[in-house]
Amino acid sequence: MTEPVITRIKTSLAQQMAQLGGRTLTDIQRRADERLGRHKAEVMAEIETAVAGLESLCAARPQAPGAEVYRLASRVVDLAGFFDTGPLFDAGYSLADTADRMTSAAAWDWPPVQVHVQALRLILNAGCERNAATEHLLSGLKAVAAKARS
Amino acid sequence: MAEDRINLEQSTVLLVDDTPQALDMLGSIFQGFGVKEQIKRPSAVEAVKVLQQRPVDLIVIDCGDPEMDGYAFTRWLRRETPAPMRYTPVILVTGHASQSKVQEGRDCGVSFVITKPLTPAVLLKRILWLAGDEREFVECETYVGPDRRVRNFGPPVGMTGRRKGDLSAHVGHAVEENMDQADIDMLLKPQRVSL
Repeated sequence: MTEPVITRIKTSLAQQMAQLGGRTLTDIQRRADERLGRHKAEVMAEIETAVAGLESLCAARPQAPGAEVYRLASRVVDLAGFFDTGPLFDAGYSLADTADRMTSAAAWDWPPVQVHVQALRLILNAGCERNAATEHLLSGLKAVAAKARS
Repeated sequence: MAEDRINLEQSTVLLVDDTPQALDMLGSIFQGFGVKEQIKRPSAVEAVKVLQQRPVDLIVIDCGDPEMDGYAFTRWLRRETPAPMRYTPVILVTGHASQSKVQEGRDCGVSFVITKPLTPAVLLKRILWLAGDEREFVECETYVGPDRRVRNFGPPVGMTGRRKGDLSAHVGHAVEENMDQADIDMLLKPQRVSL
C-alpha cells in the first residue's frame, strides 16, 4: 500500500476571508434572509404543484412508481428546505425516506404513500404552521414510515 | 466589543443545482453574503467545464443528475484536477440522502455535507468554519479530500497510527495534575554533575 500524502493547506477562501473589511455577520444574514424571502411565494406554488403530482400518482397507482414518487417528494424537500416550513419539510422528508426504503427493499406499498400525501395536503392547507395538530400528524407519519420499513 | 465581520468581497463562488428555483435561491443567499462573483450552473457536467477554464474559491453543489451527481463531481475535482484547484472547499447540500448515498457522502472528499433545511444562517456558519478549517488534505488510494477526522484523538487503541504525528501507543487520560512552569523549569535547568 502506498503511503498517504498529507498536505497542510490554506485555501484562497480562507485567505480572502481573513482580509480586513467586509460586512458584519448580522448585516450579511439580514441581507441574505431578505433576498431569499423574495422567492417564497413562487416556491410555495412549485411545492403545491409537486403535491398535486403526488396526489395524481396515488390516484393512478402506476406500475414501478418508486422513482417518480421519490423525485416529487425530494422536490418538496429541496424547495421547502430553504424556508421555515416546519411540518411540511418533515412530512416531505418522511415520504422521500419511505419511498427510498420501499424501493430499495423491492416492497412497494401504496397506503403509506397515500397517508403521507394526504398529510402534505393538510399541512399546506393549514399554512405550514407547527401546532399540536401537525405534531400529532407527524407522529402518525413516523409510525407509518416505521411500519413501511419493517 | 466590535461585531465579527466577514469578507467575501474578493471571493468567487460556483453554485450548482439541478433545480432552477433552488439555484436562484442559492444565488440570492450569496448575493446577500456580498460575494464578488457567483457562477451558477444547472449540472455538475457544466460545473466541470467552468473549472477547466478557471479556478473558484468555494463550490456549493446540490445535484442528483445520474450522469454526474455532486459526489462524482467532488471525486473528479479531488482526483483529476491539479493543486491548488483540488483543494477548493466543497459544500454538498442534500435534501434527502438515499441509503446508497450516505457512505458515498463520507468518502467522496467534500468539505461539508449540509442537509436541509438550509437557512442563510446555517450556510454562513459553515463558511465561517471553512475559513478557519485547519484540517490537512489527505491523498491516498481510497480517499482524496480534507481529513475526515475533524477532531484528532489519535489511532484507535491497539492499532498503529498511519500519520507521522501519531504516537506509537495510546497515551490515555492524564493520571495526575499538569506540572506547573516552575517544575518544568527545574527539569530543564543545567545542573552540575559529578563524574
